[in-house]
Amino acid sequence: MSNRYAANFYDGLTSKPQEAFVQLREPGALEVEVGGERVFWPLEHAGMEWERTSNMLRITFGEHPRRVIITRDKLFIATFVKRMQYAGRRGVYDRTLSIARQGPLFFLLALVAMVVVGYVWVLPFTAERLALLLPTQVDERIGEASYGSIMLGLDEDTAASAMLQRFGDRLALSDKFDLRFHYVNSEQVNAFAMPGGDIVVFSGIVQGMERPEQLAALLAHEATHVHERHSTRMIVRQMAGYLFLSLLIGDVNAVVGVLAENADNLRNMSYSRGLETDADRHGMERMVAAGVDPEGMVQLLELLEREAADMPEALAFLSSHPLTAERIAMARARLSGPRAQTTPDAELERLFLALKGRNSKALPMESAAE
Amino acid sequence: MEMQPTRQRLAFTGQGGDLFAVLIVNWLLTFITFGLYYPWAKARRLQYMYEHSELDGHPFHFHGTGKEMFKGFIKAVGLFVVIYGVFFGLLMTREPGAMVIGYLFFMAAFIGLIPLIIHGSYRYRMSRSSWRGIHFGYRGQLKELYAICLRDGLLTLITFGIYGAWFQMNLRNYVIGSIRFGNSQFAYKGDGLDFFLMNLKGYFLSIFTLGIYSFWWQRDMFAYYINNLSWTFSDGRRIQFRSTATGGGFFELIIVNFFLVVFTFGIGLAWAHVRMMKFVMANIDMAGDADLDAIVQTELEHKSATADELGDLLDVDIFL
Repeated sequence: MSNRYAANFYDGLTSKPQEAFVQLREPGALEVEVGGERVFWPLEHAGMEWERTSNMLRITFGEHPRRVIITRDKLFIATFVKRMQYAGRRGVYDRTLSIARQGPLFFLLALVAMVVVGYVWVLPFTAERLALLLPTQVDERIGEASYGSIMLGLDEDTAASAMLQRFGDRLALSDKFDLRFHYVNSEQVNAFAMPGGDIVVFSGIVQGMERPEQLAALLAHEATHVHERHSTRMIVRQMAGYLFLSLLIGDVNAVVGVLAENADNLRNMSYSRGLETDADRHGMERMVAAGVDPEGMVQLLELLEREAADMPEALAFLSSHPLTAERIAMARARLSGPRAQTTPDAELERLFLALKGRNSKALPMESAAE
Repeated sequence: MEMQPTRQRLAFTGQGGDLFAVLIVNWLLTFITFGLYYPWAKARRLQYMYEHSELDGHPFHFHGTGKEMFKGFIKAVGLFVVIYGVFFGLLMTREPGAMVIGYLFFMAAFIGLIPLIIHGSYRYRMSRSSWRGIHFGYRGQLKELYAICLRDGLLTLITFGIYGAWFQMNLRNYVIGSIRFGNSQFAYKGDGLDFFLMNLKGYFLSIFTLGIYSFWWQRDMFAYYINNLSWTFSDGRRIQFRSTATGGGFFELIIVNFFLVVFTFGIGLAWAHVRMMKFVMANIDMAGDADLDAIVQTELEHKSATADELGDLLDVDIFL
């Protein structure tokens, strides 16, 4: 008999293997001949399962304890698998696995390409869309959560904050968020915005300013961070990046993990640089809309550059307000187009001078206290 | 009783390229399903490893399915969510008392889960493993496991970890002693003091030799795990396991595997894994005259994989 194939049969009762012969019997049954007896296992039976590995075919039948057939006969395996697949039993997994087996390295390269495209383009795009779908209350909650602890160590001048608030309100910088301005006594040349609307300005930066347009530029820049929801977008992007990487490297070793995480940090850093120039650009648009001379932005950046000259080169390279020279050049370029007429605003001028006046009084006192 | 001539009875027949194909497809499907495929991926991987492990030329088989493990996975995730939910809920109250209770609850929950994870994982894995159609089984009692963990855990704590060696051996003796294979059974006879001294020697010699001895320490550890293992049949005949691994063998295995993984950025992991399995199987010798054909099916099926998945989520190395 030419179409009988040798196999091992296990009866599920003892560990004794028995020699068996198997063959396919149409329509739809496997004939198993063991110990001189013949039984038929219907191929479509619910208790019939089969699995093909790289070197054998395993067929199980019935309820626990199941009867098992194992054969390594290549010809029978091919015939059986073909018959079962014809019956529509081949899943996505087996198809994918057979592609992966045929050219593992090609398969790997294709996957790597897919992952890179996903990570570099698809992921940030999707994350940004998702972030903008979140209600603005999310920004407010994130801001609230950190506001208290950030302000704890800072010395806020509430009277000056009120003046700054009037200054900011006059510019009408956001119609989406309630902006709350805080004036803090500190020699640091700095200012920052928290998601949801709190903007903190250090006296050190105001003291260095010469024109109210510079202060307007600073507030417009920080208001853009709030208005354009930069922090929330950044958080969503980072979370998405982290999720992506942890999915990606879930099964891979630690070396790759470390590499990947550092790559993600660098990517975020370059994104945050992009946000700064974004805030400069939108800030200037807001200034123009408020009737303030946008050259104030250039002058503000020049002030920052002078202050940053003291900072070590390497630090400046990686800081979040980097490449000031480049930002100045970009801001200048935006000025070169046709410009709307702007007139100095007397109220802004008055508030600015009042704030500067506070500085000269407040600072010596503070340094004496230190 | 006549001793059979010893011969190589265990073997691993897997190949790096094949395992790589399995792992990469697993990885792909897990990735594009945001991790939901993980239980099926695990089943595929285990199936590959079992099918390519042979005893006397007959392969082992893993009966677990992705579906079973997915159910376990979901339950394990649910339990995690509850534990974290209670923990963060108590922390959010900002009441010092509630926060302390939160921390204690969190720690107690995870420590208390470990015996449960060991018990459930063994029950599931053993019942879903077979050879020649005969299923393995785990007959350990959860109560006893808790008693061992509680008693030895406390002793380990108050002896600053020294009792850990005894803890490990007591746990191993109990768990492996509860493994059945049809009507045959396994036993492990480890001794805390021996194990402690072996590790003490390995630790200090490794330091004095700047790490070179660690390969021989590894050999001693492997030998300790294997040489104390035996397999007794219903007629009283026994198979004794013995390690034939050498320090030089471990040296070659570990160094080559290290380079295989590091220089390929992890792609070589499949090949490294296969090398390790081949090394382990080739270095377990089984001596004895027991009749491998005489084992009778006794164990029932146990299909809950919750504990196994919980162990995975917690990253607990369950299998001793």
